Amino acid sequence: MNIDQFTEVIASCRFCFMCRHLSAVGQASCRESDTPRVRALIADSIRKHPEKLADADFIDTAYRSDLSGANRFHCDGYHDGKGYDEVGLQLALRRDIVEAGNAPEAVKTLADEFEAGASWQVSGSGDVLYFIDHYTAGTPAIAESFGRLAAKKGVAFRTITGGCIGKALGVLGFADRAEAAAKKFAKFVNGLGAKTLVVSNPAAYDALVNDFKSYGIVLNIKVMHSSEFLAGLKLDYRLNGGAVNYLESDFLKNYVKNYPYPKELLKQIGVECKPFGTNEEESYTAGEGAVVLPRLHPELVGMLAERVKELAEGPLVTASPYTRKVLGADILTLEEFAAKYAK
Amino acid sequence: MQPAKDSYMFQMIRCELVDAVGAEFVNSGSADGLGHSIDYYWIPEMWHDRGNEPQRPDFVVHPGSTEEVAKVMKIANQYKIPVTPWGGGSGSQGGALPIYGGIILDMKRMNKVVEIDTRTLSVTCETGINAQHLEWAVEKAGYSTMHFPASIACATIGGFLAHRGTGVLSTKYGKIEDMVMSLEVVTPTGEIINTLPVPRHASGPDLTMLFLGSEGTLGVMTKVTLKIHPVPESRKFHAFLFPDMHTAMNAGAGLMHSRLQPCAIRLYDGPETARLIKRVLGIDREGAYLVFGFDGPEEIVDLQMERACEICRAAGPKEDLGGESGEAWWKNRYKFFYPPYMFHMPQAFGTLDTVATFSKIENVYWAMKKAVEENFPEATFIGHFSHWYDWGCMLYARFIFEKAPEDPAEAAALYNRVWDLAIRAAIREGGVINEHHGVGLKLGRLMKELYGPAMHVLEGLKAQLDPNNIMNPGKMGFKGV
Repeated sequence: MNIDQFTEVIASCRFCFMCRHLSAVGQASCRESDTPRVRALIADSIRKHPEKLADADFIDTAYRSDLSGANRFHCDGYHDGKGYDEVGLQLALRRDIVEAGNAPEAVKTLADEFEAGASWQVSGSGDVLYFIDHYTAGTPAIAESFGRLAAKKGVAFRTITGGCIGKALGVLGFADRAEAAAKKFAKFVNGLGAKTLVVSNPAAYDALVNDFKSYGIVLNIKVMHSSEFLAGLKLDYRLNGGAVNYLESDFLKNYVKNYPYPKELLKQIGVECKPFGTNEEESYTAGEGAVVLPRLHPELVGMLAERVKELAEGPLVTASPYTRKVLGADILTLEEFAAKYAK
Repeated sequence: MQPAKDSYMFQMIRCELVDAVGAEFVNSGSADGLGHSIDYYWIPEMWHDRGNEPQRPDFVVHPGSTEEVAKVMKIANQYKIPVTPWGGGSGSQGGALPIYGGIILDMKRMNKVVEIDTRTLSVTCETGINAQHLEWAVEKAGYSTMHFPASIACATIGGFLAHRGTGVLSTKYGKIEDMVMSLEVVTPTGEIINTLPVPRHASGPDLTMLFLGSEGTLGVMTKVTLKIHPVPESRKFHAFLFPDMHTAMNAGAGLMHSRLQPCAIRLYDGPETARLIKRVLGIDREGAYLVFGFDGPEEIVDLQMERACEICRAAGPKEDLGGESGEAWWKNRYKFFYPPYMFHMPQAFGTLDTVATFSKIENVYWAMKKAVEENFPEATFIGHFSHWYDWGCMLYARFIFEKAPEDPAEAAALYNRVWDLAIRAAIREGGVINEHHGVGLKLGRLMKELYGPAMHVLEGLKAQLDPNNIMNPGKMGFKGV
C-alpha cells in the first residue's frame, strides 16, 4: 500500500495531539475524526486490517480533509524543518483508496471530468505565459487586473486557458492520471518557447514547482506566482499608508514555505499587512489545499468560509483565487488590489 | 444495558438525540468511533497498537449550547445511557474513554468566547474552546490567561477544569482551579445551574470547587469565567546545574521560601537531566538542572532575578548555566512533548505525578523510584519537579520500559502493577495519587486507599447528583454500570 511509505508518520501522528488546534476542517466540523491524529489512526487501522480500506466512513473522512499544510508546517517548527508529513500520508491513503477501486462515485466522476478537460488553448503574444486555471477563470476580474498591470509596463503576454494540469487529479488520489496530465501540460508549455510562466492560483504554482519535480518533469521555463511577477514590475501605487487584512495562501505559506512575494507586493503597494485572525499559524483559506473540496463537500467549505467571515474585520486581500471564490464578497485577490491602486 | 445497534430502540434513541442537537451533530460512524475510543492513555493506545478494538461509543453527540447539553442529559437519564464528556481527548488518565459505550458528549462545538471583561480582567467562554484558541483570543485583546500547559494546543478549557490541569507558569498564576471565577454546569439530571459569581465569599461551601476535578462524573461544565492578566513587560529565565537533586531541591525550596514569586521553577533529577535536557536543549552535563523565571515590570524582574540567583549560588551549584540556558528551556518548553522527543510505542511509559510538602517530597521521590527500580529492573525512572507552591512541589516522575510485552493482557498487567506499587509508595510517604492529570480510569482503583472513609462523602455526592449513575461511570473510583 502507498501508506506503507509513511509508517513513521503514522507511528508519530496516531497518538499525537500537538497540532490539532490548526486543523481547519476539524475546527469547523468539530469532529474528532477531522484531525491529523485520527486520520493517522485510520491509516494505522487500515495497515493492521486491510479490509478496512473499504470502510465507507474511513473513505469519507479521507476525502473530508482540507489537506492543509498548516499542521505539517507547525510540526516542521519543532523538528528543524523536517516535521511529519501528514498531508503526504493523506494523499497516499487516497491513492490506496483509488487503487483498491474504492473511490466514491463523486470522486470518480470528478476525476473523469478533470481528465477530459486536460487540454489548453493559447492566445496573444509575448515571452510571458499567463495560465488562467479553473479558479482564476471563475473570477474574470483577476485576469483582467493582471492584464492591466502588465500593460502599464508594456509587457506582452500570452494567456493559456484550459483544464487540469494534474493537481486536482493528484489530490483526488489518481496518481497515474495526474502524472499523465502534468506531462501533457509540460510538453505543451515547453513547446511554446516562452521564458516565463505566471500563475495566479497557488495550487497551480505548487503543482508546477513541487508536483512536477516529483514526477521528474523538467519545464524549460521560469515559473512564477503572479505576486512575484507583479512585484517585479515595480509599479507606482496611489496608496500610502493604511493596512489590509491579508489571508495567507495555504500553498504559498505552508507548502512552498513562506513564499515572500505576496507580502513584498503589498509593501510596494504601500499598505501594512495585518495578519488575519488571532494567529499566524492557522490556515484560513477555507480548504484551498484540497483544491476540489467545494465539489465534494460543499457543506464543509461553507462551514470553513463561515468561520473566516466571523473573524474578518473589514475587507480582505488574498493570494488565492480559490479563497476569493469561496469567500465571495469583501475580498480581493492581489491582482485586483494592485490594479485598484496602481497609478 | 444499551440497545443493540441493529435494534429499533437504538434508532428511537438516535432520533431523540437528533431532535435535541440536529442530525449533523449525532454521529455513529466508524471514524469518529475510532477517534473517541483512544485518548492519551497508554492502555487504549497499546490495545490499538496490538490490533485490538478499544471500546467505542454508540453515539457521538456534539451539543451547540448549554440547553442542548441539558436535553441530551434528560434523554440519557430516560434510557439510562452512560454519558462521557469529551473535550480535546488528550487526557492521559483515560477519563474521557467511553468504557461502557453510550454517548460521547463531544464539547468542541461549544467554543465561543462570550465576553472579555477588561474592567474585572476576566474572560467568559464556553468550555469546548481549545485552550490555545482562547489564549490567542485573549492575547488579541491585549491580555493573557497565563495558562500555558504542554497540552495547550490539544486540550479544551473544559478538559483542564475536569482534571484540575496546570500550566508552566502555575507557580505564580496558579493551577486552573486558582484561575476560575465561576462556572455554569449542567447536572447529570439535566438542570442548568451556576456557581456564585466570585471565587471568594462566605456564602456557604464552594460549589465551584466541587465540580473542578470531577472529571465529568458530577455534571457537564458548559461555561466558565476565568481570570486574565496583563501581558508582562518582561519575562526572564535563568538556569543552574546542581551536583545532585537534593542540593537543587534546597535551592528551589529556598526560592519559594523567599516569597520572591517566581512564575516558574523546574528541577530535573540526574537521570532526566542526562536524558531529556541533553536531547532537547543539548546540555550534556551530569547533575540536576534547575531553571526558574520571573515576569512583570522589568526593573522588578531584574531585582527578583538577582535575589533568586543569590539564593541559588548560596545553595552550592555545580555550574551557573546563565540566562541563555534558561531562555532556551522556555523557548523549547513544548518540544519535550512532540514526537520523537516524547516517549512512544513500543515503549511503555507513564507519568507518576504527585505532590507533597517540602518536608516529604524527596521521600516520595525516593520511595517511588525504589518501587519502580526494585520491582522492574528493566524500567527507567526519571523525574522533574515542575509546579511549586509556598509549601511544597509537584513531582512529575516517569517510568519507561523500552518495550512492553507483545501480549496486550500481559502488557496491561505489567503497566498497572507499576502504577499500583509506585502510587502506593507515594501515598505512604505523604503524596497523593495525582497532581494535575487527574484520576480517570487509570487510577480510580486507588481512590479508596487515598481517601479512606472520606471516599464515602464523594460517593454520596455522586449518588445525590447522579441517581442513575450515567455520568462517566467507572471513573475516578466511582462504581461502573
